[in-house]
Amino acid sequence: MFPGATDEREGTDAGGHDPDRGGETDARGRTADRGGANFVVVGAPLDATTTFQPGTRFGPARIRSFAEPFDDYDHRTDQHFSELGVLDQGDVRAWPDVEAYLEYLASTLREAVWNDAVPLTLGGEHTVSLAGVRAVEPEVFVCLDAHLDLYDAYDGEELSHAAVTRRILEDVDSVEEAIVLGARTGSEAEWERAADDDVTVVPPEAVSEWTPGDRLADREVYLSVDIDAADPGYAPGTGTKEPFGLEPRELRDVVRAVAPQASGFDVVEVNDRDDGQAAALAGKLLREFVFSNADE
Amino acid sequence: MAKQQTEVRELQEGSYVMIDDTPCKINSYSTAKPGKHGSAKARVEAEGVFDGRKRSLSQPVDAKIWVPIIERKQGQVVSVDGADMQVMDLETYETITMRVPEDKDVSPDENIEYLEMEDQRKIV
Repeated sequence: MFPGATDEREGTDAGGHDPDRGGETDARGRTADRGGANFVVVGAPLDATTTFQPGTRFGPARIRSFAEPFDDYDHRTDQHFSELGVLDQGDVRAWPDVEAYLEYLASTLREAVWNDAVPLTLGGEHTVSLAGVRAVEPEVFVCLDAHLDLYDAYDGEELSHAAVTRRILEDVDSVEEAIVLGARTGSEAEWERAADDDVTVVPPEAVSEWTPGDRLADREVYLSVDIDAADPGYAPGTGTKEPFGLEPRELRDVVRAVAPQASGFDVVEVNDRDDGQAAALAGKLLREFVFSNADE
Repeated sequence: MAKQQTEVRELQEGSYVMIDDTPCKINSYSTAKPGKHGSAKARVEAEGVFDGRKRSLSQPVDAKIWVPIIERKQGQVVSVDGADMQVMDLETYETITMRVPEDKDVSPDENIEYLEMEDQRKIV
């Protein structure tokens, strides 16, 4: 269970079929008790198309584990994480049929959306973002990532973690554009695709200056954090390390800026090949998302 | 309530299922592979036939589940009176009063199809 969240396996109703069932209702009509979750954490330990070092199957467990020492209280927003109505539904166990898995995962996340909760997905490889986006149906896909992920197919596989942003742009009708922050590498064909009007690439050196402004106002937004957007010196526990990356504080600032307008979030590509640096950063960014979203 | 029992594995898109004691039409059915020793699970996304509310369930595929028995009937509109209309069942010639759906325009002598389950009806 993610620290500070309630655990569905203890007998709560994750679906929150009756959001009015007891509990205090905040100004946004959300309830903070276990029946009506505001945020639903779902682990998606998919590790099927990782192209270099595998291990994302351990990502959700690592993120939960390395979030253990974080204080419940957030001084900046004056909120307690455990009072924000976060429910951990556990993992949707992965299997090799990626298409079937994504369909099942999207269905799980869609249930959270139907119940007016924000789905928070713990990857797993980046491909799982496609399920999150299908569930939320945003207009804008904002992504922190070292890679463009704009391959049409990688090794013949369209549902590859190297093609996820392309799939989101092309297969999810609601999505109008993708904003990729921190991208510093891609194939020639990917950079050509990135030059189209529906893609904005913000290079690492420009991320600290980037703000959404009113670009996201009144639009449905989904935020995805591929942990490899961070410099591998800070988050070595990821499968395809790419040097010259972002500082953790730069990732944090983007999450803080986008979270108030986002209806879905994931943090992906964490594996078990470090001493917890990547998982700790991922867990902290998830908490930053929750604090900032709840504080809007 | 008219219903029968089946196994979750028998459900399919387009068929009906009871969720939260409400008859629902299935929009999406997906299954998860079992763990090494677990049983496969199914997820169903459905919409209330009469209230239009979206619901979902997650169950092992061999779990028992209730399926509502919903009749599909033919009727003829006899008269329209504001928000209500009189409809004659074309099989039994029984006349019933139904709400005129907000999104539909009906006029006398028009033949309609509707779903019926106990006292609940919906034009299709």
